[in-house]
Amino acid sequence: MVSKRTAKLVAIGVIVAGTLVAESKKEYHFAVGPKAGVSVMNPYGSISVRPSLNNTVVVNVVLHSDKVEVDNNQNGNRVDIQSHLLAGADADSGRVDYEVLVPADASITLHSSTGSLRAEKLHGDVSLEGAGADVDIRDISDAHVHVKTMNGAVNLDNIQNGHVEVDSLSGEVTMRGVNGPLVQVVSTSGKINYIGDFGNSGEYRLTSHSGDIEATIPEWTSADVSARSVRGEVHDDIPLQPKNHTWFPIDKGRAFAGTMGRVAVSSTVVLRTFSGKIHLRKRSENK
Amino acid sequence: MNCVELQQSLAEVEDGGSSEQKAHLRTCPACSALLKELNLIVAAASQLQEANEPSPRVWNSIEFALRQEGLIRPPRAGRSLVPSFSTRWGAARWLVPAAAMLLLALGIYLRREALPDQVEHQARVAVAVGNPPDLDDADLMQEVADNDPAMKTQYAENLRQVNESIRDAQGLVDESPNDEDARRSLMDAYQQKSMLFKMAMDRSLP
Amino acid sequence: MTEPRQQQGSELSEAEAIERAKQGDAEAFRALYEKHKRRVYSLCLRMTANTAEAEDLAQEAFLQLYRKIATFRGESAFSTWLHRLSVNVVLMHLRKKSLPVVSLEETVQGTEEDSPKRDFGADDVALAGSIDRMQLQRAVESLPPGYRMIFVLHDIEGYEHNEIAKIAGCSIGNSKSQLHKARMKLRDLLKMNRAEKAGKSRAG
Repeated sequence: MVSKRTAKLVAIGVIVAGTLVAESKKEYHFAVGPKAGVSVMNPYGSISVRPSLNNTVVVNVVLHSDKVEVDNNQNGNRVDIQSHLLAGADADSGRVDYEVLVPADASITLHSSTGSLRAEKLHGDVSLEGAGADVDIRDISDAHVHVKTMNGAVNLDNIQNGHVEVDSLSGEVTMRGVNGPLVQVVSTSGKINYIGDFGNSGEYRLTSHSGDIEATIPEWTSADVSARSVRGEVHDDIPLQPKNHTWFPIDKGRAFAGTMGRVAVSSTVVLRTFSGKIHLRKRSENK
Repeated sequence: MNCVELQQSLAEVEDGGSSEQKAHLRTCPACSALLKELNLIVAAASQLQEANEPSPRVWNSIEFALRQEGLIRPPRAGRSLVPSFSTRWGAARWLVPAAAMLLLALGIYLRREALPDQVEHQARVAVAVGNPPDLDDADLMQEVADNDPAMKTQYAENLRQVNESIRDAQGLVDESPNDEDARRSLMDAYQQKSMLFKMAMDRSLP
Repeated sequence: MTEPRQQQGSELSEAEAIERAKQGDAEAFRALYEKHKRRVYSLCLRMTANTAEAEDLAQEAFLQLYRKIATFRGESAFSTWLHRLSVNVVLMHLRKKSLPVVSLEETVQGTEEDSPKRDFGADDVALAGSIDRMQLQRAVESLPPGYRMIFVLHDIEGYEHNEIAKIAGCSIGNSKSQLHKARMKLRDLLKMNRAEKAGKSRAG
């Protein structure tokens, strides 16, 4: 099919008999250059991505039946892996679990309906999508992080200097130590938890139509904060310097807006919900 | 002209039509055979011009992007699109999420029909698209039921919630058309619904 | 050669579709896509030899076309315009990948390619009759990138050498010489393929 353009691009497939009757394992290796692109499309099953020690993409696969195959393709610096369902496959028989090692600067794209989807310790762009997949991304720096999920829980931990966009219809979104020039979460009914300090002088926008929004931050956070709930309540545990002018009415108990911290350049924080509660909590110093 | 020279000359005069080439070809069966074979290859090349069909995913992605960019405009303005938004957001940005959702539903409808006369069906459905969500939502759920029945309950619940959020956001906009948060919440709601449709479509594509 | 189109009868004429697309008509965009998708996609696939890339590039080509459709005045054929745009999209992509696909000078592999052979392999299996499309497709995919590009643009897509020279940034003489080498290479690949098959059937 695809011609090998340079000698250094090699794919090796090793099939190892599984211990279970219908289960089989495979392993693939791909040599790549800097800033490789790796995508894994997997209707059913988990995908986890960690950094490799060298410029090799290693894909370990567990297929749960013979009703699913793995297609793999390398074109230059791009590796595409796809689970290919055969006739009669369902969520159980079509399940494939992937463990993938990639160079830390690789960009990854993962799709799975059922999940889970995990990525850690990378500094290339991370794009994860899955209708019912739980998503866990941690220790990512200087990269774009995009997550789309219908009802899977989303957990982001230690994402530094990131451009983060999360769209989750009803899954709960939890962020710990997530900072960057842009952090945006949009949800219809999912709860949003932010534990951090709104750092990097970034723009933080957390929106849930009916889910609650809770932000736990230290008192010394430097930010321009506005919170608004149309039908729900808002609570603010941290004193804010109120703004003289806001373009929306500050109905006590439904909205607040002000500045906190003393640093001249601060972040912008926008918290919005239609019917959920918004709570700006002070992080205890013992934490 | 010898064989080596003949072969070199074919780069310039491909058909062997120069007098020197003709003279050599008359006496050299090997070079004649070579030229014949090269001509066969050239003749066969045109078979490859339209040899391949892209997967349905390509059109779906194009359509989605056209909606996102506001290049596709619905036949008539929807009731939820307040003209005053255009000064701030640009009319296209508002048209896009609502229409994107409907268009994806249109895509589902067309795929389900999967009949050769797609254009005729498009014309029929274009009229139906004027009816908002009920027709599209039912088609979405049918698509999920057909292709991913295990997720049907979850899709139904999320669809219900997102429709509710659209109604709530629309109510806010109707109440306060100049409220930037209200307008943004309506756009977010449509984009969430659009994402739901897209997930259903992606799941159901081969 | 080309497979019959699925749309019959009441389809929009191209001119009508273009005018309606300028107004943002979704059906018109779709009609234009259906009419030209195979040509655009096949071009992208021939040039990249990768279905995922070809799909992305085909998508990009159509999107670029649609973004500019308001400026189309009908001075040239719409298909010509779309085609040129598609070629540009593919070439931009190949350049970005930093693969030596546009510099024709770099595609020559070893000195044996330079010197024409006197012996055309009298014992080889001859390419007679018609050439199987799939075999040709595979052989084209196996060509070195520069050869493949020239062959695709000239013999498959019908560009003239002066046009290819402008597109690829080379001389007309270079374009001609590379095309000839591409055809010779294809001939070798196809003959090898036939010889292998003949060998297998003798052994089997």
